[in-house]
Amino acid sequence: MNRFIFKFFVLLAMSIGSGLLGSRIGLNLQQSIAISIFSVSILGTLFFWDFRLSFAFLGTSVLLLTRTIDLENLIKSASLEVILFLVGMMVLIGLLKESGFFAWLISLILRMRRLTAKKFLISISIISALLACAVDEVTSIIFMVAAILEISDYFEVNPIPFIISSVLTTNIGSAGTVLGNPIGILIATKSGLTFEDFILKAFPLMLVCLAATIILVCLWYRRPLKEFDRKIKEMGANDILIKLISVPPEKRLKIALGIFGFTSFFIGLHHRLELMWDLQPNTILLIIPLISSGCVMIWRWQRARSYIEKDVEWWTLLFFLLLFAQAGTLKYTGATDIFAQKLSSFVGHNPLALRGVILWGSAIGSSVLDNVVLVAAFIPIIQSFQGMNFNLQPLWWALLFGGCFGGNITMVGSTANIVALGILEKEKHLKINFFHWLGIGLIVGIVTTGIVWIFLSCVRLTN
Amino acid sequence: MKVKEVMTKVVKSLLPNMGAREALDALLNIEISGLPVIDEEGRLIGMFTEKDVLKSILPTYLESVGKFIYADDPKGIKTKVQDLAKIKVKDIMRKDVVTVGEDTALSEVARIMLTHKIRRMPVLNKDGKVVGIVARQDIVKGLVF
Repeated sequence: MNRFIFKFFVLLAMSIGSGLLGSRIGLNLQQSIAISIFSVSILGTLFFWDFRLSFAFLGTSVLLLTRTIDLENLIKSASLEVILFLVGMMVLIGLLKESGFFAWLISLILRMRRLTAKKFLISISIISALLACAVDEVTSIIFMVAAILEISDYFEVNPIPFIISSVLTTNIGSAGTVLGNPIGILIATKSGLTFEDFILKAFPLMLVCLAATIILVCLWYRRPLKEFDRKIKEMGANDILIKLISVPPEKRLKIALGIFGFTSFFIGLHHRLELMWDLQPNTILLIIPLISSGCVMIWRWQRARSYIEKDVEWWTLLFFLLLFAQAGTLKYTGATDIFAQKLSSFVGHNPLALRGVILWGSAIGSSVLDNVVLVAAFIPIIQSFQGMNFNLQPLWWALLFGGCFGGNITMVGSTANIVALGILEKEKHLKINFFHWLGIGLIVGIVTTGIVWIFLSCVRLTN
Repeated sequence: MKVKEVMTKVVKSLLPNMGAREALDALLNIEISGLPVIDEEGRLIGMFTEKDVLKSILPTYLESVGKFIYADDPKGIKTKVQDLAKIKVKDIMRKDVVTVGEDTALSEVARIMLTHKIRRMPVLNKDGKVVGIVARQDIVKGLVF
């Protein structure tokens, strides 16, 4: 209890301190209140994970009560379009799960023929990254950990190297498409970047970083790999694993895959369709998951309520909604314009230096903070660079890759890390030491962020 | 009618430091699916049921993975079954136990059972000590017959 009170006072002191510091650098009262309340949300996620929604509710109420923002602008800033997109995608993921799609993927991994340790490590790394691109990092990691635990149980080897490798590559893969991470859709809607932009620019860069990560984990875990190879030789082929689980290819699984394919296809073409039909940017991107999930709820009407109540993570989404509104308040009050000016002066108005600061700043920040919190704070600042003759596109990519890759640095850096370690602890009573993770996490974090830095410094990106 | 009139009064209980395997044997011997766990001072600290044993040996991510069929018993489950001899009742018991007082009306007990989706509950006296256990079947018998 004493620790709880201590942390609460630290949160309060730091939040008030950030407001006071803001007023010292020239922020007015409204801007200082906005920065203080946003600090409560950031620090709330750091110190009081279970209470973060309570802090977001109370903080947003204070913003309205103090007239820091009005109701109309608060709702405008809440990014309802992003929330609705995520709701639609969560319903679709619920359908895929219920239809056995993910269990089917696990059975495919278990059926791997002529298994060798390196082949296993490379395969799970590639599948982790691609699955994170197609669904999202948190959904993806659960199935990957399940498959890894079954295989490591069978061959009686330590699962930790494979789980860490899978988590690292999941975080890498989450930067590859709009669907990989909530920050992907958030950046896409705020920046005007399309799904095609992600596929043409972010995806290939993600593949390069994935290849680098695979090389690094193969080197780092060469001893566990040798041990695994020895066990494979000793125990022979994985005959039992091959038939361990089955998923009947029922009609429902095929329809579910068809709906997901339809959704992905139209999300992929959203920009062209919007141009062809003269629609506002991102209209198709945002409505396709709604159309698909609407159809799912008609088809599976007996389960419709369950999809919405159980598969949609309202706790997280409500936090995002209020967080976006609070970040919008920073912009509404003009606080982010001042931050942008200060940041621009700090880097001597040098675009390359600014990219570096945003990339490394967001990577270091997301190694300890929820990347959505961090990106929500950075977005209005990047928008404020619009009037300062900066090319914004490299800054958006810097934010995306920094936010995703920084999560690899520490074991609490991303939700995927926390979910995977939670399963490992429950299933195997194994706890990973902070520094054990930091060893490989820091190397992967620095190398992959470094690759992105080189890319952003050398390649000309235009809006 | 009050719950004390239909509850099973002789309550066998388990100690938190008892081995999980030994406790499971006790459940199977007296053909009951769950027993209260009581500390040395006589306070109720949890419930140990067959469901808790199954939950502890099957993977925790089952629900997240979705629909599939086990064609064989995975090695991990077999290992966890063997490990039951090494773990204690307190490691797998359910700690958030719903209880009722001995003077609670049967309809109220039935309401609690339905809303909390539970099959049996420990019955406590005014001092907070376990004096009995009431199962769904006891309530149905008491209300209908």
